[in-house]
Parts: sequence; C-alpha cells; structure tokens
Amino acid sequence: MLVFDHVSKRYPNGYEALSDVSFSVEAGEFVFLTGPSGAGKSTLLKMINGVERSSRGQVHVAGQNISRLPARKIPGLRQGIGVVFQNHQLLFDRRVYDNVALPLVIAGMKPTEVGRRVRAALSKVGLTGREGDWPETLSGGEQQRVGIARAVVHRPPMLLADEPTGNLDPDLSREIMSLFLQFSQLGVTVLIATHDLELVESMPARRLQLQAGRIQSP
Amino acid sequence: MNESATGSGANIRQINRADRLRAWSRHHRQLFRSTLSTLLNQPGALLITWLVIGIALSLPILLSLALREISEADTRQVIQPAMSVYLSVPSESETAQALLQTLRASSAVGEVRLITEQAALMEFSSLAGFGDVLNAFSENPLPGIIEVVPRERDGAGIKLLAQQIAGQDGVDQVSFDAAWLERLSAILGILERVLYALGVLFSGAVILIIGNTLRLTIENQRGEIEITKLFGGSDSFVQRPFIYRGFWLGFGGALLAFLIIQSSLLYLSDPVERLAQSYRSNFALEALNFGESIGLFALGALLGILGSWVSVWRYLKQIQPK
Repeated sequence: MLVFDHVSKRYPNGYEALSDVSFSVEAGEFVFLTGPSGAGKSTLLKMINGVERSSRGQVHVAGQNISRLPARKIPGLRQGIGVVFQNHQLLFDRRVYDNVALPLVIAGMKPTEVGRRVRAALSKVGLTGREGDWPETLSGGEQQRVGIARAVVHRPPMLLADEPTGNLDPDLSREIMSLFLQFSQLGVTVLIATHDLELVESMPARRLQLQAGRIQSP
Repeated sequence: MNESATGSGANIRQINRADRLRAWSRHHRQLFRSTLSTLLNQPGALLITWLVIGIALSLPILLSLALREISEADTRQVIQPAMSVYLSVPSESETAQALLQTLRASSAVGEVRLITEQAALMEFSSLAGFGDVLNAFSENPLPGIIEVVPRERDGAGIKLLAQQIAGQDGVDQVSFDAAWLERLSAILGILERVLYALGVLFSGAVILIIGNTLRLTIENQRGEIEITKLFGGSDSFVQRPFIYRGFWLGFGGALLAFLIIQSSLLYLSDPVERLAQSYRSNFALEALNFGESIGLFALGALLGILGSWVSVWRYLKQIQPK
C-alpha cells in the first residue's frame, strides 16, 4: 500500500529533513510514526499526499509512484487519503455538517448521499445530531472528532494523522486512538505521527521511529 | 449509485466518466445559487461593487447611445440642413411654381417642400418672443421658401447643387451650411474613436475591479482553499466558485448599468425632444431595446468571468497546502 524507497528530502535552504528512508506498510496496517519534534515525521506524512516531493528516492502509494506523479494527478491521489491535523483545521465559518461534507462535495457526490454519509461519519465519532453546530461551540476533543469524521467520511483507503492527540488529555487521546484502531480493522491503512510514547506503548501497533531524519532500527 | 467510488482497500479513487460529468454539472448548478446567496450575505459591499461596475459600464454605453442618435439623425436629415431656397417672387407666382416643378423633376434633389409666406409667418410667430416683433410690421416681411433636401451626401456635391439652384429664375438666395455638415461628420468620427477607446478602457476597468474584489475574497478564504486542496480539490474545482462570483458581480453590475442608462435617458428626454423639435424632427434618445439589454447583461457577465479568470487562476495555483 505504501512504500518508501531510499527517500531523502532536502529543503532549498539545505536542511535535510529525511535521509535515506525506506519502509513499507501493508494495506490495513496500523502504524505509529514516532520521534521527537523535528525528526521529520510531518515531512514524511506530507510526502505521502504530495504536499512535499522527495529530493531522492521514490514514494509509492497504492502502486502509484508519487515522486513522478504529474501535478494534475495529485488531486486524485489526495481524494483517496484522509488527513487529520493536530489543530483540526476546521473551517470555522462553516457548520459541522459542511466541514465533514467537504471531501464528499469534492468527490461530487449527490446531496442525499452526502447527508447520509455525513450523519454516519458523525455517529461513528460520537457526535450524532451535532451537524448544525458551529465548530467554535464544540470542545477541543469534539473538534478533533469532527476533523476525524471529515477524514474518513469518504471512506479513503488510507488515513494520515499528524499529532492528532497533541492538544488532548490522556483519556480523550485514548478514545481518539481507539477510533483510529477501529478504522484500521475495517481495512483502512492508518499512519499516525505522534511523540506521545506512553500512548504508543499502550497500543498493539507497529512502530516506525524517526531520529534526525532517519529510521531507527527497532 | 456511486457507492463503488472508493475501492475498500487497494486502488485510489476510480470514478467513471458519466458519474464525473454528473458531479461536475451538479457542482455548477449548486454554485450558481450558493455563490449568489454568499454575496447577498454582505449586501452593502455587494451593492458598492455593483455600483462601481454599473457606472463603469453605463458611461461608454450612454455615450454610444448619444452618438448613435446623432449619426442616425444625420441619415434622417435632421441635422443635415436642408437647403433653404429664398424666393424673390411670391410663392403663388408662375415663376415659383415652375421652379418647384423643375426641382421636383431633378434627379439631384430628394425632397422638396414649399413653405408659403403665410406658413413661414405662422411658424415664426409661434416661436417665443417673435410674435411681438412681427406685429411691428404692417405686412408679412417673410419671403416664401422652398426647402430642398439634396440626394447628395457629399459637401462639394451639395455646394454644386446650391449654385445651380441659385442661378434659377425667382431665386433670391440659397442658404445652407456645408461646413457645419463636414465638421459634424469629422466630430462624429473623432467621437466614435474616443468611444471605442473609452469602451476598451472601461471594460478593462471592470475586469480589474472584479479581479481585485475576488483576490480579496481569496485572501480571506486562504485556509479553506488549502484544506480543499489537501482533500483532493483540483485547481479548477477551487477556482469554480470564484468564476461564479465573477459572473454575479458582472451580471449585477450590468443590471445596475441598465437602470442607470434608462433613468439617464428619461432625465435627458425632455431637453432632447425640444432640440429635436427645433429641427422639425421627431428624433428622440431611444432606450435600450430588448436585444441590446440582453447584450449588456451578457457583456457584464462575460467581463465578470473574464475578470475572475485572468486574475484568479494564477493566484489560486500559488496557494498550496503546507
């Protein structure tokens, strides 16, 4: 599903964020990406959905070579990847419904189908009946769950999360993680970048450890 | 129906062509309404933008309407002065009648009209202030006049005809203003060019106004655009709402331009009518007809789309998720 093949990323200012990174992830696998901040976790995730491009080496997603993907095919790639951010990145001038519906609208789904799927996604994250609320009226944990609903509403084969529990207390964090675990049990490939080692160790999942842009052997 | 839009595991999104077309047209239909209602949420700002566009569109169009009336008046021989042939003999006399026959038969002459001494007197005295002057005369001081409209358009040809008529028996003098005609057509020529230049400049201004308005909107929606792109919205998907916004800005501006033009014409109609009467004509500034109004709306909409397209496309491409 996901293959990194001797991937390096050097920014124009000379800073090397990733050095010779190689690993592969099977479809439906649940993987933690750990390491201190600045280790290259975010950069690695951004290379999967085409926000950043590798300087050397190749990234394959679902058999496609992302490093050689023309710009016009990037949207198609991203439509198959759900993304969750540390700061939710919700649109605060849109109601919960419209925030969650975004990937479906991009995919051009019928409004009736959109409504059905948005409600299903919200109920999955425990926010049934909240589609009319404004994001700012929700608590931090609820906002994060709206972000997760948005990331999975279009049933993408892959889910990326960058510090999804960064701002949450331990109980909420565990709750969010178990949500991700459920998705992976449904066949979604899940990759979560986090520096919350305590949480990682409490979960039965594979770990990729990044240190100064390199994968540490376990 | 497109339940299979996402494969459950392996492949990235596969949508067939028909579904994609349906989704595309649905997005367009939905944006057609939603962009207007978004704009209407800020009625003050919208009205000002519409007014600016409306004024910019109405100025060259008002000018072109005036110019059209003047040039059409030319062909209706309103401003082109008919020659006035002043008779040295009474209009009932045989000489005068013979002259009338000759002129009517002439191929160089389009229309001939006899204004008798009495008719001239009546017309003259109907003009304000002249009645008293005429009362001072014991008898009618005015000569009979034959008005001759030449077929010839060209100044030199009209001059020749005037000379020929002046040589006839019973003619006191022929008056016409060839220089005025030449000057008028020269002025019309200049005005026409000025108008084209103005039209281009104002259209450019409308495009810039719309482009600039949309740029500000994009700046405010930067976050939304980044998120949309991150979830796989293509450049054209992101651009589409701005195309529709441009459309509505241009179309609404044209609507206001229409109102400005029609009310200006209403405001001008009275003095223009008086001017026309002094030329014994019934020409009047005509309002935009149906076809022209449609044309105006189409122009506004087109400029809006164009304004959105040229200024927004590159700008939107630069906004990429980080």
